[in-house]
Amino acid sequence: MVDSLRPKIGVYICHCGINIGSVVDVPAVVEYASKLPGVAVSREYTYMCSDPGQNLVKEDIEKEGLNRVIVASCSPRMHEPTFRKTLKDAGLNPYYLEMANIREQCSWVHEDHAEATEKAKKLVEAAVAKALLLEALEEKEVDVIPSCLVIGAGIAGIQAALDIADAGFKVYVVEKTPSVGGHMAQLDKTFPTLDCSACILTPKMVDVANHPNIELMTYSQLEEISGYVGNFKAKIRKKARYVDFDRCTGCGVCAENCRLAGRIPNEFDELIGNRGAIYLPFPQAVPAKYTIDPERCLQLSKGKCGKEGPACVAACGPGCIDFEQQDEIVEIECGTVIVATGYDVFPMEKKPEYGWAENDNVLTGLEFERLVSASGPTGGKPILGRDKKGEGGYEPKKVAFIHCVGSRDKSVGNEYCSRVCCMYLAKQAHLIRDKLPDAEITVFYMDVRAFGKGFEEFYDRVRREGVRYVRGNPSEIFKKSADPEDHTLIVKVEDTLTGTPLEYESDLVVLGVGLEPRRDIREIIDLFKLSQSTDGFFLEAHPKLRPVDTASDGVFLAGCCQGPKDIPDTVAQAKGAASSALILMAYGKVKVEAQVSVVNPDECRGCGFCVEVCPFTAIELVDENRMGNIVQVAKVNEALCKGCGSCAAACLSGAIQPKSFKDEQILPQIAVLGVKP
Amino acid sequence: MVDEKKLQDKARETLSRDDVRRLIGWKRSTYGYEAAPAVLTDASEADQLIFDPTCVQNPASFISLEEKKPVPRGQEPDTRKIAVMVKGCDSRAIVQQLVEKAYNRDDVVVLGIPCIGVIDRRKAEKLFGETGKQVKAKVDKEKVAVDIGGDVKTVDRKDILMDKCLRCRYPNPLVSDFLLGDEVEKWADDDFADVDEFEKMTPEEKWKHWDEQLSKCIRCYSCKSVCPMCYCVECVVTQQKPQWTRRSTDISENAAYHLQRAWHLAGRCIECMECQRVCPVDIPIMELNRKMTREVKEMFDYEPGVDAEAEPLLASYNPQDPEDYIM
Repeated sequence: MVDSLRPKIGVYICHCGINIGSVVDVPAVVEYASKLPGVAVSREYTYMCSDPGQNLVKEDIEKEGLNRVIVASCSPRMHEPTFRKTLKDAGLNPYYLEMANIREQCSWVHEDHAEATEKAKKLVEAAVAKALLLEALEEKEVDVIPSCLVIGAGIAGIQAALDIADAGFKVYVVEKTPSVGGHMAQLDKTFPTLDCSACILTPKMVDVANHPNIELMTYSQLEEISGYVGNFKAKIRKKARYVDFDRCTGCGVCAENCRLAGRIPNEFDELIGNRGAIYLPFPQAVPAKYTIDPERCLQLSKGKCGKEGPACVAACGPGCIDFEQQDEIVEIECGTVIVATGYDVFPMEKKPEYGWAENDNVLTGLEFERLVSASGPTGGKPILGRDKKGEGGYEPKKVAFIHCVGSRDKSVGNEYCSRVCCMYLAKQAHLIRDKLPDAEITVFYMDVRAFGKGFEEFYDRVRREGVRYVRGNPSEIFKKSADPEDHTLIVKVEDTLTGTPLEYESDLVVLGVGLEPRRDIREIIDLFKLSQSTDGFFLEAHPKLRPVDTASDGVFLAGCCQGPKDIPDTVAQAKGAASSALILMAYGKVKVEAQVSVVNPDECRGCGFCVEVCPFTAIELVDENRMGNIVQVAKVNEALCKGCGSCAAACLSGAIQPKSFKDEQILPQIAVLGVKP
Repeated sequence: MVDEKKLQDKARETLSRDDVRRLIGWKRSTYGYEAAPAVLTDASEADQLIFDPTCVQNPASFISLEEKKPVPRGQEPDTRKIAVMVKGCDSRAIVQQLVEKAYNRDDVVVLGIPCIGVIDRRKAEKLFGETGKQVKAKVDKEKVAVDIGGDVKTVDRKDILMDKCLRCRYPNPLVSDFLLGDEVEKWADDDFADVDEFEKMTPEEKWKHWDEQLSKCIRCYSCKSVCPMCYCVECVVTQQKPQWTRRSTDISENAAYHLQRAWHLAGRCIECMECQRVCPVDIPIMELNRKMTREVKEMFDYEPGVDAEAEPLLASYNPQDPEDYIM
């Protein structure tokens, strides 16, 4: 039907209501377009994207035998899929469509109507120049493996995994640490409802471990991922626990007997509590299986543990301890991936002026959570300065909370608001008021952002409980005297509402540290070729309309790896990510990009620049027989390629080109737009 | 200084190897200040080989330029190695070609020559005039002795050596299988004084300068032919479809050609200066490349042709990369 040698082009100029029509003289553009070479039909319509607008195109294709269509309207980001479908419905290859953006790139940005009209004419003419060279492309579909890989088992990963598993699909959950739970398991209470964090989380943790559709791999790490949407292959390293996973009953006798019991700072307790070399990170850990820390265990790191050999081995009834255990590599296939790798809190080393490293009574918000948690090192009592045996110590009398530590602070490179600190500090102030009714509590803030459901009410309640809010950002925190018995700290700050410089005395300072991208975020970026936004968190595909998708098809984001958020937002996003992954798996097939790159193997010099720049690992070098000589040339995997064109930009000889955006298709456009010779 | 006998012996030995198909080095030319390239296939030819300050040409250019001829049906392609003699500066071309996978390290035998400078033909002609006689030369720390058909003249190094030698930081080959001579000590550093000097010009002066220089270009493409980094199967400047640059030699097309070449060499130029040396109309092509080299070094802390394991600059990305280059 399509006579590619004799193009019959239909040009449709959209008024977009008054968006285009009030600036561009549309009839003049229609008139101009009708005289361009190859143009058979030139029309205007108020809303081309509407049903009657689309029907106009369909009718012309049928009656006039059009074989190329140009729609001059908004950005192709908006309606290219719409009009491609129109062409397809009318029996024309959808890639015979070319769009001229006369809204965003013309009517919206120009005031001079005459010049805007001239520019619209040029843009349409350029589209005509390209339309003559358009090629028909084939749309392909591939099957989607009905399983999902979830990376990270904090609340985001747990929620996403449960939703997908409940829908009847297989889920693999990979968690780096020995237990699921993530940061939420470390928290004492949650704002603003004051639910016990562990109480609402642990049932979900147990569900993840027991769900028949979920294969949980804790103390494991994703090593390699290859493939494309619908067909990923992943290699996962299950690190050796040195404990027989199936036989361990979690009784804990080994840990009690460990020679290093209570002598190693526990990561779960933010290093303010201790554990042994064989340990369960916290009592409610899931799975309740012990793990040996190979770097600290005397037997594993030094090859010798006491005179009688390792005490844990002697103590363990079922005989689970196995120092010979090796890491295990598991290979799985999955159709979709959810990245829920979470965050790290702001590293206080970057703000030495707050004296966190030198003073035991300057705590980060997360350390404070462990201090007041019933499962924490002090059993929930806010006692500071205990000795190694956990005795002695003092209760603080004057407590200061500091807002925005490492957030909204250009000097440490974090311009963003971490969104949770205002409220968690309010909650912590409430907890201290609860536990120490006589303490003097002061919060130093820049602004209080209490924007969520029930937040403002909670903030109000905390203030009514006698917590003083002073507006000011402390410049320095230091010890009042060198006397080891005197714990008093000086918070140097200016009350910016009264303009008064203050030296506030306190014996506990809690820093409202912000959330940062994980320190090891690079590993995930390298595996999935994900992008970061300027704040360093993972970049979503569209900030408004595709907040859980990434530029890599089939890979979705959930939780704080995409940006700071509180628990309800994290759960909502996890459910969103699960639903997005489910769409692919439930439908079972996925369309792959038709506008992919192609290599001219005769011109390729095999330097591999395209391989290096490809964000989707879609290109590899393969052997090519060039008249008897074996040379290396680039080859594109069409299922992986997204047609981004990075390869074409890197290629020095122009041997690799994205379809529909080949140099020979674009240059005539440029010639029309530019100065003609 | 390299012992010529030792050099010829090593070449003979290398050419006798079963897995070597040819050797590229230098031989005495019949006249003028520059030695001729020698491409040998037989061990008996090895006594032609020389090395002295007239050996300016970069033999590494030939490796990737070798035409891969069609292999007749039933025959196997010749996959034997190419042996090549290189100075320090030339060796950077090999390193960069390896970075760009032009060939494998196993495909070449590198005979490295520690070098303390080579003659700039243009400077020599200014000092002694053009010559139809055969020239030999010797160089030591201070002076260069030029023997023009038996007539020996001695000049200060800085007056006759190539500019690249006066700022040479890699006198010893960065890659080699055999070293033909003892390593020499580095004597200079590169402070980009030439680029500073150039940048003192006002935009109008620069425009005038390039207008004059590039208008001379006859588009013989010698610069791209001799460049060790220009080895695309078909160069974009000679492509017909699409045609990026027209063939006419006017300032517009000439400038387009030279700027395109400079951009294509960004992060790749190893500063052997071959392009400028062979230019028949004396265009200071290196001024463009030198500016690019400094930008690349200052912005990305990157130097091409130094580390064979490095990622190519324009094919690597770091979110912290500066964006000042977007003009």
